Amino acid sequence: MSDENKNQASVAPEAANTSGNAAEPETAKEDTRSDSLLDFDDDDPLSATAVSKKTLVIFFLIDTSGSMKGKKMGELNTVMEELIPEIRRVGEADTDVKIAVLTFSTNVRWMYSQPVSIENFEWARLRADGVTSMGEAFKELAARMSRNSFMSSPSLSFAPVIFLMTDGYPSDDYKEGLAALQANSWYKFGLKAALGIGNEANDDMLAEFTESKDTVVHAYSGNQLANMIKIVAVTASQIGSKSMTLSDESNQELSEEDVYASKQKQLGKQIQELVGKSNDTNDVPFDTGW
Amino acid sequence: MIELKVGQDVEMEYGGSAKVISEIGRGGQGIVYLVKYNGMKWALKWYDVDKIKKPKDFRRNIQNNIHDGPPSDKFLWPKYLTKENDEGTFGYLMELKPPSFDSFVDILNTYKLEVDPLTGHAAKRPVRFTNLFAMVTAVINIVNAFRQLHRAGKSYQDLNDGGFFINVQTGAVLVCDCDNIAPDGSNFGIGGKPGYMAPEIVRGIAKPNVQTDKYSLAVVLFKLLFRGDPMEGEKVVKDVCLTESSELKHYGQNAVFVYDPNDSSNRPVRGIHDNVIKFWRIYPEYIRDAFIRSFTTGISDPNKRIIENEWQQLFIRLRSEIIMCGCGRTNFTSMYEKPDEKTFKCPRCGMEFTSLGFSNRDYRMPLFVGCRFYECEITPGSDDFQSVAGELVENKLKAGYLGIKNCSTKTWKVRMPDGNYYDTPPGKGFPIWKELEIDFGDVQAKI
Repeated sequence: MSDENKNQASVAPEAANTSGNAAEPETAKEDTRSDSLLDFDDDDPLSATAVSKKTLVIFFLIDTSGSMKGKKMGELNTVMEELIPEIRRVGEADTDVKIAVLTFSTNVRWMYSQPVSIENFEWARLRADGVTSMGEAFKELAARMSRNSFMSSPSLSFAPVIFLMTDGYPSDDYKEGLAALQANSWYKFGLKAALGIGNEANDDMLAEFTESKDTVVHAYSGNQLANMIKIVAVTASQIGSKSMTLSDESNQELSEEDVYASKQKQLGKQIQELVGKSNDTNDVPFDTGW
Repeated sequence: MIELKVGQDVEMEYGGSAKVISEIGRGGQGIVYLVKYNGMKWALKWYDVDKIKKPKDFRRNIQNNIHDGPPSDKFLWPKYLTKENDEGTFGYLMELKPPSFDSFVDILNTYKLEVDPLTGHAAKRPVRFTNLFAMVTAVINIVNAFRQLHRAGKSYQDLNDGGFFINVQTGAVLVCDCDNIAPDGSNFGIGGKPGYMAPEIVRGIAKPNVQTDKYSLAVVLFKLLFRGDPMEGEKVVKDVCLTESSELKHYGQNAVFVYDPNDSSNRPVRGIHDNVIKFWRIYPEYIRDAFIRSFTTGISDPNKRIIENEWQQLFIRLRSEIIMCGCGRTNFTSMYEKPDEKTFKCPRCGMEFTSLGFSNRDYRMPLFVGCRFYECEITPGSDDFQSVAGELVENKLKAGYLGIKNCSTKTWKVRMPDGNYYDTPPGKGFPIWKELEIDFGDVQAKI
């Protein structure tokens, strides 16, 4: 789909030998002369470029099969349009938040051929039609979540946020696709969440995808759908970049095992707290009132 | 979380209510709203109590802070608490940031997004310091604010780039988000922001306190001057994906400063950390040394971190070593040539600047029209870095004739070109000449 311009992003960590000892002003001047990138006139202490940022890609995997037609798709399109400006500043000065949207029905399709920085992202309204090729979507995601493709940022990346939304059961062999995903390290370390829409969506199947029940939520009505999407997307995009509360009171030295998947756990905890509070009982379910 | 709606009334602790006008922003602990209370506009920080460990203690702490008042006028301090609602949710009012201040985040980004209220279209507007004095003054103001806070026996706990507003023309600073400030030794659950937290907090063996504030302060200053992350270099970038365990490693267990003189494994990477590579060589050695100490010995030994007063002294020195050359080049004396002990020469246009030596320090202050020295530089023990004591000006009656004006409140004894000493009272001046001597009282200066 989009492999033409990947090579330009590779960067060799070469600074170690060029700027190793700038302890003496003389040495510093030596450096500048031999250095074409940092020419002599470019010594203005005020002429900074923006701080280098870590990249966070938020993947939305969206079911656009025929059953999503009507109110579900309408709500989803509207809430996504509104959500983007809301989370625009979430990265502050540390994180460059990018969005990638993969839709799946009979075929799988990316909304844009590359993850797009949230400041420039515009939601292209989706239409629903066809069957639910979720397994294919998993395979496509596994193929793109690679340093040679969508994760080609030259600087550091946070583990991605992967948010699946569906209203039905896969019509293809999702297990095969999921196996491909599970072999992908970005997926392994990523923050995974899923939203089941309506009565057909299977939360157990979604928990297989997220690897934890706490990050699976369910929406039975339009209001809930809008709420859940906002809760999950906003919470997931804030974890890792905002000030956080201490998770442990013990003052014990943390080990790698202690922190493993801690963000996924944190996400699950926060989502569950928020979901518990937002149940709106006066809401009309998708499948009643017809 | 219980969000507020526009038009909603929020009851205040001591009566009356604040009406919500609009949302200003969102943070990790809650939402900030613009509200109207008693006919005035305020900012209301409204908490998501689920994200606060001990809401009752947290609220009581804010109450105490309101009672104690701010350590100086540089803090947007909590003013009034709201009543607790049925869910235990509450908030507090603080003054609004004046429009002439920009957020530190926007300064680091070098722009801010301004959204057109009619079209919703966002446009980028540049946010940059307009001059070098403003930037160095901002640093002095920041370290001074934390010095005052720590002297009051409190720690900030969540020091990060979101905590400041800065006037990019003057360097004036306002510290915001003062709600986690607590007496040193107390903590109400906040850990801090990734990248700013002291390694011992990341490792889980300490809670925020005055010493961890000092580490975070050094990160904030590094970001402001060098525009990058002091711990993110080759070693970190190699990990490609910053997982929880790499964060624990690179910001906790094995944090290595990008310019650690004894460990070159984490140098900045060209193409990613260009700012840091460029600015590191511009700053004089004493500034670089202070950061090296902060991020090497200061990592493992919190007591070796630079204290605020030392930062303040270093940056007051740096402010006095700025030269604004006639050719437009503004830089520190370390970036000018030095044909002799007392002269600085612009490497671009060749203009020369003589300098003034003071009896209380071993570095010289370059002289150029508009250069200033401050009360703290001529009065031992003075902490007043804001009052101008003297300024180099052009004589209003004789064009091209330069002299120093006494802007202080004391009379100075000055050696005039006839070789004799005369009194120069406040408001008067004297010419610059090659055997100029000034006696400020306890401090003397000469060309």
